[in-house]
Amino acid sequence: MNIELYIQSGIVESYALGLATPLEIAEFEQLLPHFPELKEALADFEYHLELFAIDNEEPPPAGTRERIEARIRELPAMAGATRGGERKYRRGKSAGEYLPIEVSSPYIRVHRKWRTFFIAVFILSKIFLGFAIYYFLEYRHAQKHVRQLEQQLGKKEAAGAAGEVDSRAGRRE
Amino acid sequence: MLYSYILQFVPDRAEAGVLLVDIFSQLTPQLQKAFDSCLSIYCWLQVEARKIILEYMVKSNGQSDLAVRHSLNGGHNKAYYFSLLEECSPEHQWVFRELFIHGRKKEELAAQSGKDLAHISGILRECLLIIRKNLE
Repeated sequence: MNIELYIQSGIVESYALGLATPLEIAEFEQLLPHFPELKEALADFEYHLELFAIDNEEPPPAGTRERIEARIRELPAMAGATRGGERKYRRGKSAGEYLPIEVSSPYIRVHRKWRTFFIAVFILSKIFLGFAIYYFLEYRHAQKHVRQLEQQLGKKEAAGAAGEVDSRAGRRE
Repeated sequence: MLYSYILQFVPDRAEAGVLLVDIFSQLTPQLQKAFDSCLSIYCWLQVEARKIILEYMVKSNGQSDLAVRHSLNGGHNKAYYFSLLEECSPEHQWVFRELFIHGRKKEELAAQSGKDLAHISGILRECLLIIRKNLE
């Protein structure tokens, strides 16, 4: 299957906007785990949709939040979950429990603008690593050289001392 | 965020506020479905909200009178996703509006316009790709 053509068919947008038919949805969800490109295209489109929603945000009428909270508290499932225990509701109006929510996705999402930064950090780290290795080798080489010079110097000193002893002995004779 | 999304379907702000309450009360017990879905939470909310809104529109006035009213006076043409299709032809805007806002089927549009289904599908595809391009 040519996944690029499939993506270009508008299926990702259709799926994310809720315009896909049940057949298209089934096919898309079947293909999604097998094609990282498809996942990436979906995540990318979702991200832009969310940014668009944030940019075009309009505040709802006053009191909407309270009405939503009241309606949710009235729901049978929520009423059962509410015990009136130690934890206080965020606004202090009623006591209840937070719903346990598990997030199964192993991915975190980072804005695209950070990509350049991460690439730069990666390249710089490699350059520094290269320098570190180079200077370490240079240092070892220099140490070896110093040791050789010390040995040569020691030998010369020893030879010089032996020559002096011989010359003294010759003079005595 | 969802309120602005609802406004493109129901431009009356008070009515959209009531719908927002309905949507959250209906979707909260289904929250686990959002986590099981392949979509992000927000996109899942939008998709499910749209289904509720379309049902509401059909129930409230037969065949979504609100939407028809606004499509006639061009009320949607600059709202929300339609702002991304401003440069498109009226035919493109009409197809997207009928499918997305009114929840009609492609077959219906094909029959109404006298064009074949592939033509309508092609126009929808172009609209979706334009939306993607303009979002980026």
